[in-house]
Amino acid sequence: MSEIVQSEPFVMNIGPQHPSTHGVFRVKATVDGERIIDAEMVIGYLHRSMEKLAEERTYTQNIPFTDRTDYLSSMSNNLGYCLAVEKLADIEVPERGQAIRVIMAELQRVASHCMGAGAFANDTGAWQTPIMWFMREREKILDIFEMTSGARLTCNYMRIGGVAFDLPESFEEEVRAFIPAMRQTIDDGEGLLSGNEIFIARARNVAVVPHEMAINASLSGPMLRGSGVAWDIRKADPYCGYEQYDFEIPIGYQGDAYDRFIIRIEEMRQSLKIVEQALDGLPGGPHSTEVPLALRPPAGEAYARIESPRGELGYYLVSDEGPSPYRFHIRPPSLINLTVLREMTVGGSIADAIVALGSIDIVVGEIDR
Amino acid sequence: MDGAGVGIAFWALAFVTLGAAGGVMVSRNLLHAVLLLIVTFIGVAGFFVLLSAEFIAMAQIVIYVGAIAVLMLFAIVLTPRTIRDNSETAMVGPAILLGIALGTVFLFVIYDTEWAVVASDPALSAEDLGKALLSTWVLPFEIASVLLTAALVGAIMLVRTSEEEAEDDA
Amino acid sequence: MGPLVTDHWYDLRDLSNISREILEGIDKVAPSEVAYIVAPVLGFVAFFLIFVLPSQLIVGVYGERRIIGRMQARRGPNRVGPFGLLQPIADAIKLLQKEALTPKTADRAIMWAAPIFFVAPAVLLFATIPFGPRMIFADIPVALIYFIAISALPVLAAFMAGWGSNNKYSLYGAMRVVAMSVSYEVPLVLSLLAVVVFSSTMSLQGIVLFQADVNLWLVFMMPLAFLIYFISVSAELNRTPTDIAEAESEIVAGYLTEYSGMKWGLFYGMDIGYALAASAFAATVFLGGWSMWGLEEWVPPWMIFIAKTHLFYFVFIWTRGTLPRLRIDQLMAFAWKFLLPLAVFNLFLVSLERLLWVENDIGDGIVFAFAAGNLVASAAAAYLWARLLGYRPERIPTKPRLVREAGGYVPVEGQTGGGE
Repeated sequence: MSEIVQSEPFVMNIGPQHPSTHGVFRVKATVDGERIIDAEMVIGYLHRSMEKLAEERTYTQNIPFTDRTDYLSSMSNNLGYCLAVEKLADIEVPERGQAIRVIMAELQRVASHCMGAGAFANDTGAWQTPIMWFMREREKILDIFEMTSGARLTCNYMRIGGVAFDLPESFEEEVRAFIPAMRQTIDDGEGLLSGNEIFIARARNVAVVPHEMAINASLSGPMLRGSGVAWDIRKADPYCGYEQYDFEIPIGYQGDAYDRFIIRIEEMRQSLKIVEQALDGLPGGPHSTEVPLALRPPAGEAYARIESPRGELGYYLVSDEGPSPYRFHIRPPSLINLTVLREMTVGGSIADAIVALGSIDIVVGEIDR
Repeated sequence: MDGAGVGIAFWALAFVTLGAAGGVMVSRNLLHAVLLLIVTFIGVAGFFVLLSAEFIAMAQIVIYVGAIAVLMLFAIVLTPRTIRDNSETAMVGPAILLGIALGTVFLFVIYDTEWAVVASDPALSAEDLGKALLSTWVLPFEIASVLLTAALVGAIMLVRTSEEEAEDDA
Repeated sequence: MGPLVTDHWYDLRDLSNISREILEGIDKVAPSEVAYIVAPVLGFVAFFLIFVLPSQLIVGVYGERRIIGRMQARRGPNRVGPFGLLQPIADAIKLLQKEALTPKTADRAIMWAAPIFFVAPAVLLFATIPFGPRMIFADIPVALIYFIAISALPVLAAFMAGWGSNNKYSLYGAMRVVAMSVSYEVPLVLSLLAVVVFSSTMSLQGIVLFQADVNLWLVFMMPLAFLIYFISVSAELNRTPTDIAEAESEIVAGYLTEYSGMKWGLFYGMDIGYALAASAFAATVFLGGWSMWGLEEWVPPWMIFIAKTHLFYFVFIWTRGTLPRLRIDQLMAFAWKFLLPLAVFNLFLVSLERLLWVENDIGDGIVFAFAAGNLVASAAAAYLWARLLGYRPERIPTKPRLVREAGGYVPVEGQTGGGE
C-alpha cells in the first residue's frame, strides 16, 4: 500500500532560530512523518576563536575569556582555569580562598540548574510557570554575585592563587536569608512537576542513554549520573577542599530525561547544603596568594578538571615559559554530551527531540568557544 | 415558512451555492476547488433549513463539512504535486455536450411538473427521525453501522507498516 | 420566569424587553421588511458586541494575562490605563498598524480566507445561547448539533492556514490540528449525547428549563460527561495542555507561523472568542445556564450566566498556566483509549437511569439519588479504567538515589516500571 501513498522523508531544520534550541545551534533532522530517522547537528554559529586569542594574552588576562564560554556558570569556568594554571605554576591557594571558591561554585551551580531545569520544563510545555519561579531565585543569586564581584553574569572573580576580592560585609546574611527561600522554591517546583502525570509522560522513557553508552561516550555530569553511574569529580578527584564537606551525589535509574531533571533538582539541594557548611566553617586569613603580574609558569602541561553544572569541565594548558600560554584548550562538557544526540533522538518524534535537547542542558557558548 | 426574509435568504443562498459550484468546476487549483466545494455544502445545508429540516441541515454540516471535506483535503494533500492540477483535459468537449444534454432534460422536467405548494408545515423533528430509524428502518441503520465499522478496521489495516504486521505475527 | 420579571423596557433583568420595544416601534412606522433586517442586526449588536466582545477583551486578553502572570510570580499588564485595563485596546491598535506579511510562495487566497472561517464559529455560536428566559436570539430545536456542526469549521480554517503558508512548520501544525480534532470529536459528541438523552431535548433553552425544573445541574448528574466535555473541548480549542498545534517551544506557532498583523490578531482574538463560546455552552448545558435555584428572579439572569461562563473560562486559564503539554500520539491514545470507553460507559449509565425514571413514573426527587450514584460510579470507573490501561503512579520514583562514594555503575534493585 505504501507505493500508492508516497511518503518520503524530508529534511527539517530545527534551529538556529528556534525558541527551544538553547542558543544558536542547528539540528538537521531527517523526518518521516513525525518520526526522526537521522539527526545531524551543525555547530559553529557562536565560534569566537577563544583558544587562539588566548595565546596572545597573559594568563590573568585570559580569565574573562573563560567567563564567556559557558555564560551560565562563569564562576565554575573561572575556577577550572585558575586550578589549571595553579597546577602548572605550582601555586598554593590559602584556605579562605578555597572556601570562598567553593561557596561561589556551589551558588553558581544552583543558578545554572535553575535555568537548566526551568528551561527543560519550558520545553515540555509548562508555559513558563516553573521557569519563572526559578528565575526569581536566580535573580537573588545574581544580586549576591554582583555584590561580591561587580558583575551579574560574567563575574571574572577568581584569580590565579585565590579570588579577586574578599567577601563584602553583608554577604553572609544575604546568603543565609536566601537559602530557606531557595529551598522553598525547589520544593514548589518539584511539587508542581515531579509528580505531574503529563510531565512524567513527556519525560519518562524519552532520550534514554544506557549506562554502557554513557561511559563509552565520555559523558559526564547529570547525563552520566542519570544512567546510574556514580561519578562526580567532587568525590572522585576532589579539588578546592571538597573532601571536607559532607554531601551526597544523586544518581538516576534508567538514564531518561526525567531522571536528569530530578537529579538537577536534588543537586540544587545538595549545593545549598555545601554552601551552609562552607559558610559555617569559613576560615580567616588572606583570600589569595600573591602572584606576579606577568606570570611565567615553568614549561610543561597541566590538565585540571572540575564538576561544572553541565559535567566535567577540563582545561588543558601548555606553557613554554612565556607570559602567554602556548596552547589553551577547553574540554566542554556540552559538546561531549551532545555526541549521543543522534542515538537519543532517532526513532522518536520531534517533540521528543526537543525534550532530549532540553535535558542535556547545553550552552552553545562552550560548544563553539 | 413565509415572509420576506425567506425570499432574501433563498436568493442569497442560491447565489452563493451556485457560484461556489461554478468555482469548483472552473478553478485550476485542486485545493481551491475543494474549499469552494465546502462552501457549496454549507449552502445546501442552508437550503435544508429553508425547508424546515434543521436536523438534516446540521447533519449535513457535521458529515459533509466536518468529515468528508477533511477526507478530500487529506486525499489531495497526500497526492504528488504533478497530478494535483485541475487543468484542461481531452474530455472538455464531450463534457460540455453532456452538460447541455442534461440541462435540457432538467429544463423539460421542471417545465412539465406541477409545483403545488404544500399546505401544512410537515416539520420533521429529530424525534420523528429517531423513531423512524429505530422502527421502520432499523435494518438499514444497523447494516450501515456494521459497514462503517468494517471501513474503520479496513483503513487501519491498510496503513499498517510491514514492521507492525511482523510484530503482530510474532 | 417568575412573576417578578416584568415587561417594561427598563426592567434590566430581562433585556429582551428593550429589543422588543425597538422592533415594535419600527414595525409601527416602517414596512415589515425593515424590521426583518433590523432584527438580526440588533441581535448581533446585542449578543456579540455588547456581551461577547467586552468579555473577550477584558477576561480573555487582559484577565488571562494577569492571572497567568500572578501564577508565575509576576504582575500581568499594569501600565496601560487604570490597572492595565486598556491593554487589549493597545494590542488591537498595535496589530492594526502592523504589516501583515504574506510570503511570496504562499497561497494568497487561502491565507486570506482562513481567518474568516475562524471568526465564524465564535459569532455564530452565541446566537443560540440563552442568556435569560426570553433573551435568546435563535431558539432552534437542534442547538446541540448546531454546536457540533460549528465546531468543525475552525478545524478547516486551521488546516487552510497551515497549508496555505507553504512552510514545513505550518504544515505540521495543520496536520496535528486535524488529527487531534478528529480524535476528540467522538468523546465530545458522546458526552453531549448523554445530556440529550437525559433531558430529552436538543434545544439549549429546553435544557436550561429542564435543569431549573428538577433543581439539579447536569454537572452533578453526569460528572464524567462534564469532565470529558472539558478535556475534549480544550483539545478542539487548542489550549494547553493540548495545544500541540501551536506549541511554541516545538514548532514555533504551528499553523500561525506565517501570520502577522491583524490576521494573526483575528486568529488570537477568535481563539479566545471561541473558547468563551464553548464556556458559555458548557455553562448552559452543564452548569444550569441562567437558572440558579430561584435566584434568577432578583438577580438578572444574564449576570448569573456570564458569571458561570467566566468561572468555566477561569478553569481554562488555570490549567493553561500550570500543566505541561502532551505529545500528539499520547493525546490521540488518550482520546481513543481512555475517553471514548468512559464516554460510552457514561452514556450507558445515564440512559439506564433515564429509562428507569420515565418508565416507572417515579417523582423528580430521584435525580438526586441518581446524581450521588453517578458521582461514585464515575470516579470508580475512571480510576479502574486507568489502572487497567497501565497507570501505576506508585511505581515511578520521583526522587533520585543518593550515594556517597564515586565509583562505577550502580545497578537498580527491584523493578521500576510505569509511566507511559
